[in-house]
Amino acid sequence: MTVQHTSSRSAARPAAHRPASARSARSPGRPVRPAARGRRLLSPARLTLAVVLVLVFVSPIYLTIVNAFKKEADIVADPAAPPVHPTLGNLSTALSRPDHLLQLGLRNSLIVVVCSVVLLVPLGSAFSFYISRRRTRARAAVLAMLAAGLMIPPQVVLLPTIRILTFLHLDHSYPGLILSNLGGGYFSFAVFVYVGFMRAVPDEIVEAARLDGAGGLRIWWTIIMPLVRPATATVAIFLSLWIWNDFLNPQFILGPLQGQTITTGLYLSVGQFQMDYGQLFGIMFLAGIIPVVGYLAMQKQFIAGLTAGSAK
Amino acid sequence: MKPLSHWFRDTSQDLGLRLIAALGLLLYLVFIVVPVFMSLRSSFTDENPLKSGSNWVGFANYSEMLHDDQLRSSVGFTLALALGVTVVANVVGLAFAMLLDRTELSYRVLRTIAFLPQVISGVIVGFVWKTIFTEDGLLNDLLARTHLAAQPVDWLGKPHLAQLSVGVVVAWVLSGFTTVVYLAALQNIPRELYDAGAIDGANSRQQFRMITLRMVAPATTISVTISLITVLKLYDVIQVLTSGGPANATQSTAQYIVKMAFTNDRFGYASSIAMFLLALSAVIALSVTSVLRRREVDL
Repeated sequence: MTVQHTSSRSAARPAAHRPASARSARSPGRPVRPAARGRRLLSPARLTLAVVLVLVFVSPIYLTIVNAFKKEADIVADPAAPPVHPTLGNLSTALSRPDHLLQLGLRNSLIVVVCSVVLLVPLGSAFSFYISRRRTRARAAVLAMLAAGLMIPPQVVLLPTIRILTFLHLDHSYPGLILSNLGGGYFSFAVFVYVGFMRAVPDEIVEAARLDGAGGLRIWWTIIMPLVRPATATVAIFLSLWIWNDFLNPQFILGPLQGQTITTGLYLSVGQFQMDYGQLFGIMFLAGIIPVVGYLAMQKQFIAGLTAGSAK
Repeated sequence: MKPLSHWFRDTSQDLGLRLIAALGLLLYLVFIVVPVFMSLRSSFTDENPLKSGSNWVGFANYSEMLHDDQLRSSVGFTLALALGVTVVANVVGLAFAMLLDRTELSYRVLRTIAFLPQVISGVIVGFVWKTIFTEDGLLNDLLARTHLAAQPVDWLGKPHLAQLSVGVVVAWVLSGFTTVVYLAALQNIPRELYDAGAIDGANSRQQFRMITLRMVAPATTISVTISLITVLKLYDVIQVLTSGGPANATQSTAQYIVKMAFTNDRFGYASSIAMFLLALSAVIALSVTSVLRRREVDL
C-alpha cells in the first residue's frame, strides 16, 4: 500500500503571524503555570495509556516476529507469548520451498526496484532542473499536469498501459513493468521533491558555470546533482519502498507466467492453500524483513523526507 | 541582469539536458496522460480482450452504471471507508503525536514503530491481519482466553463485521503515516505560544483548541488529503484480506474496476467505472484541499 505525499507546502510551516504575546489582562488569582508543552514527562496515567496504545498498535508486527520463531504447537498454545523454545524451523522451511518463492520473489523485486529507481532519479532530476530554470506560464501548467499524476488511481490507467506495452511488444515482461514505472505517479513524485530543492540552488552558481563555458548537461551532473543529494535520498528511498511493495501492476502487467515479484508471489502461493501459522509467519517475516531493515537503517532520511522535502 | 532563460538559449551544448528532460516528460505522457484519454475513449465502446476491434456504444456503459447495484454498493463502501478511516487515522495520529511529543522516553523508538505499518507491503499486512481476524484466528483465541466472548466471532464472514475489520486494518496502516506528519508539525510549534496561552489563563483544553489545532492545520490538510486519496485507490490490502467478500460487502470501486476488466473481460465497462473513480477522486481531493486551505487561513 502506498501513501504518496507531496505537497507544495510543508507540514511544518513557520507561523504566518506572531502570536499576540501575553496580554496584561490576566485574570487575578490564577497562577501562572509553566508551559503546558515542552519536554516534560507525562503523568503516570497518561504514560501508561500511551504505552498500552503503542502496544496495541504494534501487536500485529509483534505477533509476526515472535511466531516466526515458534513451533506450531507453541503458537497454538499461546500466540502472544515470546518464543520459549526458539526455532529457525519456520524460516528454513520457508527458504527450502520447492517453488523458491522467497528467493525468486526477492530477486525479481530487487531487479525491478533497482532498474526503476536508477532510471527515475536522473529523469526526474534533469527534468526538474530544466523546468525550475524556466519562468514561464508553461512551467505552472506542466507542474499542474504532473500533480494530477499523484492523484490518478492506478486502476484507471492499468488497461491502457497494458495495451501500450502490447503495442511495444513489452507486455508480460520485466522491461515493460519497469518502463511503466518510469512514467507514472512515481515520476511526478520525483519531480516535486526535486523542484523543491532546485529552487534553493542560487542562480549565480549556474551563471558562473555558464560563463566558464559549461553546458547544461555538465552543470546539472557535476554541480546540481551533488547539491540536491538530500532530494535524491528522499526520492530513492520512497520510490524503492513503493515499487517494492507494488502489487497491482506486477500482478497484471507481468501476469502469472513471468515469475513473481515478492508481493504477487506471496499472494499466489500463500493465498492458494491453507498453511499452518508457523509457515505463514515464517514467510511473512522473511518477506517483510528487507524493507523494514532498510527503513530502520535509513529512518533519519525517511522521516526527514516525509516532513521536509516539500519545504520551501 | 539578463533573464535566466538567456543562459539557456537554444544552443547545442544544452541538447543533452533537454533530451533527458524531454524523455522524462514523454514517458509521463505515454504512461499517464495518454492512458487516461484511452480509458475515456474505451468507456464509450464495448471493448473486450476476447475479440479484436470494438463497437462504439455511446453512453450505454454510463447508463448501465446507473442501475448497477454492485457499483452502487462499492461506491458506498469506498466513501464510507475513506471517510471513516480518514477521521480515525487523523484523530489517532494527532493523539499519538501529542503523546510522543511529550514523552522524553525513547521518542525515536516510538516514532520508528509508529511508521512501521507504512513500510510493510499491503500484501503482508493483509495476510497478517487475516490470521488475526479469521474465525479460528488469533483475535478469537484471545477473546476466548480472556472469556470476553463465548462464541468465536466471524470477523471476516459477516458483511458488516468484515467492513469494520477492513476499516480497522486500513486505519492502522494510515495512522502510522499521520502520526509522523503531525509529530513534525508539533515539533515546530514555538514554546512561547503555550507560555503566552498559559499566562493568558488558557487551560489545557483551550490551549489544544486555540494553539495546537491551529498550528497543525497545514499538516491536517496534507494528512487528510493523502488519507482520502490512499483509500480511494487502495487495492492490495482488501484483496488479500477479504477479496471483496463476503457477498461483495468489502468490494471497493477500485477492486470492482479490476474485477470487471480481468474477471468479466469487460474492458469498455471497466473503463467507464474507471472514469467515474477518476472524477470522484479529483472532486474529493480538490474540494477537501480547498476547504482545508481556507480553514488554515482563517485560523
